[in-house]
Amino acid sequence: MLHEGVIALLLILVMVLAAWLEPGFISVGAQLELSTHAFELALLALPMTFIIIAGGIDLSAGSTMALASVTLGLLHQAGTPLWLASAAAVSVGAAAGAVNGIFVSAVRIHPLIVTLATLAAYRGLAEGISLGRPVSGFPEGFQWIGAGTVLGVPVPVLVLIVAVMVAGVVLSRTVAGHWVYTIGGNELAARHCGVPVGRVQFGLYTLSGMAAGLAGVVFAARRNTAKADIGAGIELEVITAVVLGGVSIFGGRGTITGTVLGVALIHELRELVGWHWRRDELILIVIGVILVGSVLLNNLASRRRA
Amino acid sequence: MKSSAGVWCAALGVIAAVAITAAAVAGGVSGHEGARAETAAKKITICLLPKKKGLPYFTTCAKGAEEAAKELGNVELIYDGPTDGSPEKAAGMVDRWALQKVDVIAVSPNDPEVLGQAMKKARQKGVHIITWDADAAPDAREFMVNQATGRDIGYALVDTMAKDIGGAEPEGEVAIITATLTAANQNEWIKHMKERLGKYPKLTLVAVKPSNEDQRLAFQVTQDLLKAHPKLKGIFGISSVAFPGAAEAVKQSGRSGAVLVTGLATPNDMKAYVHDGTVRSVVLWNTGDLGYLTVRAAAALASGTLKAGDHELDAGRLGTKKIEGDQILLGQILVFTKDNIDDFDF
Repeated sequence: MLHEGVIALLLILVMVLAAWLEPGFISVGAQLELSTHAFELALLALPMTFIIIAGGIDLSAGSTMALASVTLGLLHQAGTPLWLASAAAVSVGAAAGAVNGIFVSAVRIHPLIVTLATLAAYRGLAEGISLGRPVSGFPEGFQWIGAGTVLGVPVPVLVLIVAVMVAGVVLSRTVAGHWVYTIGGNELAARHCGVPVGRVQFGLYTLSGMAAGLAGVVFAARRNTAKADIGAGIELEVITAVVLGGVSIFGGRGTITGTVLGVALIHELRELVGWHWRRDELILIVIGVILVGSVLLNNLASRRRA
Repeated sequence: MKSSAGVWCAALGVIAAVAITAAAVAGGVSGHEGARAETAAKKITICLLPKKKGLPYFTTCAKGAEEAAKELGNVELIYDGPTDGSPEKAAGMVDRWALQKVDVIAVSPNDPEVLGQAMKKARQKGVHIITWDADAAPDAREFMVNQATGRDIGYALVDTMAKDIGGAEPEGEVAIITATLTAANQNEWIKHMKERLGKYPKLTLVAVKPSNEDQRLAFQVTQDLLKAHPKLKGIFGISSVAFPGAAEAVKQSGRSGAVLVTGLATPNDMKAYVHDGTVRSVVLWNTGDLGYLTVRAAAALASGTLKAGDHELDAGRLGTKKIEGDQILLGQILVFTKDNIDDFDF
């Protein structure tokens, strides 16, 4: 809770600074419109939280997003109805995640190596089957998923709210959530206690792939483009947000609240720096400093506690 | 309680560190910001978005843009773009600038669809949008500042090659190494190159090969071409990646001078090849002038002196520039040779 408190305080301070520097930035209208920029980051951060708490990592999320996006684009081009093409894209994402899951849980290869391999392989596959050609010209109705609003709130944000609530409840209030912490704390002990380690790992990576598939579909709707080079490097942003939110990179510790705060802090910093200083390179520096600072803080806090 | 006090102190430390970093990197900019507020009434804010920030090509464009902004006096120029070339980040910048109600956003779209979407949204908010260097869909912007038409470039490439090969009737086999087989710009140039080759009946085009924007592939493809066509006299490398790749392959084959390479690239990439004789001419445009013209056009659009349907634009030190439809033409191909290439640093 302590770490979440610190990140929340930082977030408040950033917003106060924003209000002082750029009153226009903190208006509800601007915030709502900018919030869609964080959709992919936030959605992917949820399964990543589970995976990292369980002692794993998924580097292939961005490439899976691209693979799903290309699936959607090619099926749309071939005349498949969009609901079906979207379902297929999410399924391809889930299948890509399941492949990671099998290698991690059944073949027992380290997730860093598995997903490093699929990071390259899925991107290559996406480039290969699309020949690098983007697909655009999605109908208005489909674009609504990414760009539409309900009572002024962008649809992607509504999707996120639901996803966050589900993830929060599952992680903190269910047996499955408890298993995730147990595995991350000590995998061997978890096995001895009868936790279905393999099944949980398989499920987590499949879920991560599914989320990436959904992110690919929403991105296509948001920017009216499905193509093979989307989401490049997003996995590192996602991991940054999750770690910033207090999830231990060694597993066993972390909360969805922390992740949401980490995502919000990165998002607001990124938008504020871009809004006020208008220097892309500065955004990276600020996020780097915040990350190192927060990890130092975490270490300090845990040392004091010990 | 004691432990949490320590953590709060550390939190303050982090905040201070961020503040210091921000101040150190952006100190100059924030001072500028304050000045803007005072004269906000007359100022025109122009945002110049490159495909990728930090590329020498775009940095030199920005220099010209700054020069125009200074000359005009009432222009605040914002030059920013994604340092990693991500179209999504570039679109995010357009979104933000539109929310800030800047006057003009000039975009060099690295993805016409992703950027096009954001540009249309910005136009709906009443922001003037133009493209420069590369184009997006016509309904996403009002004008395009075009460095050179496909015809200008295609003809200049072929004429340059003919001149380099020399003779009253230049003779020999030539080949083209392009970016990808679907690249719109390159395909447009190739069309005009083929047209222009008609003027030189003894120059025969034997191959058009893709390099997929990969310098190693360009190198390999050129090696293959040299083997397959021993009588090859000239190679066009028509992307900034294909050109140095092709030149390197010819150089390593030891046939520098016997097989001439020409194409489009920035002078710095090609200086070594020009000096060792592998390349006699490099075709490009003056990037500084491109940035300069873009800011001139943007300012004219914001102040109402440039309207749809106009045929001319007063472009300051560049004189009067022609407008064809919605294309504002820089129309100046620059050929770098060993005599002038050292005068350019980009």
